[in-house]
Amino acid sequence: MNHDSNPVFSCAGVRIHIGEKEVVKGVDLTVQPGEIHAIMGPNGSGKSTLANGLMGHPAYAVEGTVTLAGEDVSSLPPDEKARRGMFLAFQYPVAVPGVTVASFLRAAVSAVRGADVPVREFRKELLERMADLEMDPAFAGRYLNDGFSGGEKKRVEILQLLMLKPRFALLDETDSGLDIDALKVVARGINTAASNDTGMVLVTHYQRLLNYVHPHVVHVFMDGRIVRTGGPELALELEERGYDWLEPAAAAGGV
Amino acid sequence: MASRPAVEAAPTLALEHIDALSRAAGEDAGILAIRREARARLTPFALPDRANHLWRYTNPARFLPDGDPTAQGPADVSPTWRLDESLSVAALLAGGALRVVEIGDAARNAGVVVEDLHRAAADGFFGTVVPAAHGFLEAINAAAWRGGVLVRVPAGVSLEHPIRLRLVAGDLMVPRVLVVAGEDSSFEIIEGHVGGGAASKVIGVTEIVVGAHADVRYGLVQRWEAGVTGHLTARARVAAGAHFQMSLASFGGTAFKADVGAFLAGEGARVETFGVAMGGEAQHFDHHTEHIHEARKTSSNLDFKVALTGAARSAYTGMIRIAPGAGGSEAYQENRNLLLSGQARAESIPELEILTDDVRCSHGATVSPIDPEQLFYLESRGLAPMQAARVIVYGFLDQTLGRLPQTTRERIQALVAARLHTE
Repeated sequence: MNHDSNPVFSCAGVRIHIGEKEVVKGVDLTVQPGEIHAIMGPNGSGKSTLANGLMGHPAYAVEGTVTLAGEDVSSLPPDEKARRGMFLAFQYPVAVPGVTVASFLRAAVSAVRGADVPVREFRKELLERMADLEMDPAFAGRYLNDGFSGGEKKRVEILQLLMLKPRFALLDETDSGLDIDALKVVARGINTAASNDTGMVLVTHYQRLLNYVHPHVVHVFMDGRIVRTGGPELALELEERGYDWLEPAAAAGGV
Repeated sequence: MASRPAVEAAPTLALEHIDALSRAAGEDAGILAIRREARARLTPFALPDRANHLWRYTNPARFLPDGDPTAQGPADVSPTWRLDESLSVAALLAGGALRVVEIGDAARNAGVVVEDLHRAAADGFFGTVVPAAHGFLEAINAAAWRGGVLVRVPAGVSLEHPIRLRLVAGDLMVPRVLVVAGEDSSFEIIEGHVGGGAASKVIGVTEIVVGAHADVRYGLVQRWEAGVTGHLTARARVAAGAHFQMSLASFGGTAFKADVGAFLAGEGARVETFGVAMGGEAQHFDHHTEHIHEARKTSSNLDFKVALTGAARSAYTGMIRIAPGAGGSEAYQENRNLLLSGQARAESIPELEILTDDVRCSHGATVSPIDPEQLFYLESRGLAPMQAARVIVYGFLDQTLGRLPQTTRERIQALVAARLHTE
């Protein structure tokens, strides 16, 4: 982590509407390279909407400024954000039947790196990253997320994180639905990405993942806002006290 | 009720032309008798009623030939096509005649016969799988066909490499193919339709006789040029213990109707039909499949996928018929349609006639636009919207293509990829 460098990601005044309803009500964030932020909050607080909205989900109307490595990407479509180094690990990755993990990843890696990767080189890299995540090589030939268990889907999201090497990644509930062994593997992947200078925001409502991934900054997210920001100790406090004690802060409109 | 189409739409099939065609082609009396009988079926002529399930989505008058298809001799064309080591046989039909027949040494030594159907047809199989009574276009074909090929693979012969037939459309093409697979034979045969142009018409019939315990993989690949209006009928009769697999791939033409299927005629016969169609612009596709279970313990499986862009139209009707004596059979049918534009339209109609209780049968049909969540997922990985859509369509079709034999699969995959990159 290097606080002297320019932030890899920041957003300011982000508000997101789904239809008529304002779900995210003004969010500011700044993430440095290699820095891990956790956004924690109860179900229904708008965390996933924030993650999807920042990536550019077509169903969400997003206001505010989103900056990636110094460039304003607020109005860019998701594919252009991705090619500039932004990534979202999905809470519920969608199945794409008929498209294998390997062929999909090769297309994605080529798109993000801006050049076709030779098959042999790609194959080697893919198998190495799969081994890191303790995945059966046969996975490469399976259709993307088609019939995958919850844990398998999350591993494939982390596999993509490691293959695409984004500057900045949003991880939406990547810890949910994992048994303890899978959680450790996923945490290792996240730590590897951080050590490669990827800045990350982990969206979660469990403290569990934070036993294996140590965030530099913890934000509490309630009712569409960040209501408190602190260090790793804040996560432990949430684990102990729940969210109720922060209700007055949420009612007051956040920090 | 809708008025019957005008009788004056009748094709001109002069008896003296039919006799002259038959004589010039060196046909025997049996074939000429079938021609005359088919012609008699067309007199008086009436187009099928549009209320008929086969013609609800496509105007039958579109397929009528202009003028008398028997009036001219074979066109003066000299296409070339060469056998290579990836094929057992290469045969080419163009301009109303069989122009090229090349048979590899292994196939020739095994007794594989590929010859001009005009001189070879009277062998007891001609007209037995698709008789003139099948429909008005099949009757026109039976009366007026010109340019045909017989492929006969003897009993017990397995061919390592596929047989390729190429049919090149001209102004009007009325081709006929007869494939006779001997008992216990095993081979792959691909019938590819190419060529044509503005105002081209094709009325084709293919008959396939699958002997007991044979294993025949048949591919019907249509990639005509724009402007072709064509109708292809293909039917197999599958004997006891035999396996017949049909791969259907439809890409080209302006209006295309296919009527394909199989009779599961012997106990334990198995039939699979796997297909894809890709339509764009103002293309009109109408695919009808039939799996007719006539014998006990037969099984059939159908998986047909359609992807449409532009203002393309597709109708699919899938008949499964299980005869009263065909107990212990099973039949599955699935048709999925992916619409890539707001103007594209697809219909999917299963037609089941299950005449016995002792049967397992299921069918499924969907027509849907591309899933925006799939698009967002792929776009969030850096794929541009068009590329993301191509990946999704390719995957949609490839699930079905993955079930095809290797040569046909790779050929069709390449055609799908090429088509996706021109959209």
